[in-house]
Amino acid sequence: MTRSRSLAVGLGVLGVVFLIIAALYAVGVLQILTSSNSGPHYKHAVLFAVLAVASFVAANFARPKTA
Amino acid sequence: MGLLQGASELFPVSSLGHAVIVPSILHWDFKQSDPSFVPFLVLLHLGTATALLILYRDQWVLIIRGFFTAAIRGQIKTDPERLSMLLLVGTIPAAVLGVFLESRIKSLFASPYVAAGFLIVNGLLMLGFEVVRRRSEHGATRSEQESHFGEAERISFVAAAIVGACQAFAFLPGISRSGITIGGGLVAGLRHQEAARFSFLLATPVILGAGLIEMPELLHAGIPLGEYLAAAILSGIAAYASARFLLRYFRSGRLDPYGWYCIAAGLGALALLHFGL
Repeated sequence: MTRSRSLAVGLGVLGVVFLIIAALYAVGVLQILTSSNSGPHYKHAVLFAVLAVASFVAANFARPKTA
Repeated sequence: MGLLQGASELFPVSSLGHAVIVPSILHWDFKQSDPSFVPFLVLLHLGTATALLILYRDQWVLIIRGFFTAAIRGQIKTDPERLSMLLLVGTIPAAVLGVFLESRIKSLFASPYVAAGFLIVNGLLMLGFEVVRRRSEHGATRSEQESHFGEAERISFVAAAIVGACQAFAFLPGISRSGITIGGGLVAGLRHQEAARFSFLLATPVILGAGLIEMPELLHAGIPLGEYLAAAILSGIAAYASARFLLRYFRSGRLDPYGWYCIAAGLGALALLHFGL
């Protein structure tokens, strides 16, 4: 994987965005692309939480390592 | 139904297709619109996922440990670490497509006629995967032919993502999740047995996750929990036996018999449905 500080920061920010989206789905504020228009959507929340974890992992892989 | 689901979930013959076609042909009183149907399917899937976890318990310990080690280190050094990242990469596209598309696709195509049609398509896909595979095989015996291909840990990350995304086709009743992922693994250069192992490992988090997320449904639905649990246990037993059989079968076996079975079953189901037998 290409190692770059800016890529790592970008992936970290993406992870934070995914976490916020997960929280919004979990509390029922976000209703975009859901089958019902009310209440929490735990399936969507879990998905975005997983995407957040994947982004943080990718950010750590992209981070330049000190020798 | 538990035995049918557990056995057909891992065989490359589409459990969803069979779950739509068989009750319809045998006039079983299963209505997919019934509020208790989703909890029932959830329990059956949890049974299957539990069977896969038991079957691969040692590997899952290594994979989970490898995931955390590699994630914290930011570097992959061992095969279990690489496999854990491959499974993550393969699971994400399936999870994204599943969350956003599954219910829409299933409601569009939940007809026994459509399921029978896609079962035929599934059969043709299985045969097609083997045709592509045979072109890159060398050697006279099956073991020689298989020896040129790799283990699940050697698949590329792009290939893992594509194979994972292909799982979304399994939302179409009649298209097999395991069939399409095993076929994808073969095209990506895995041995048959390794393609089956990668397919089963890839299926576990998706099936388990989907099941666990739907668990609250079990508490609200007012369902006959005892009967459903018995079906889930049967599903798990059938899935465990199926996985053991398939892993042994794919040491030298191919997808062809399942391809021909799907074509025959799809044509037979269409005939039975059309003539109302």
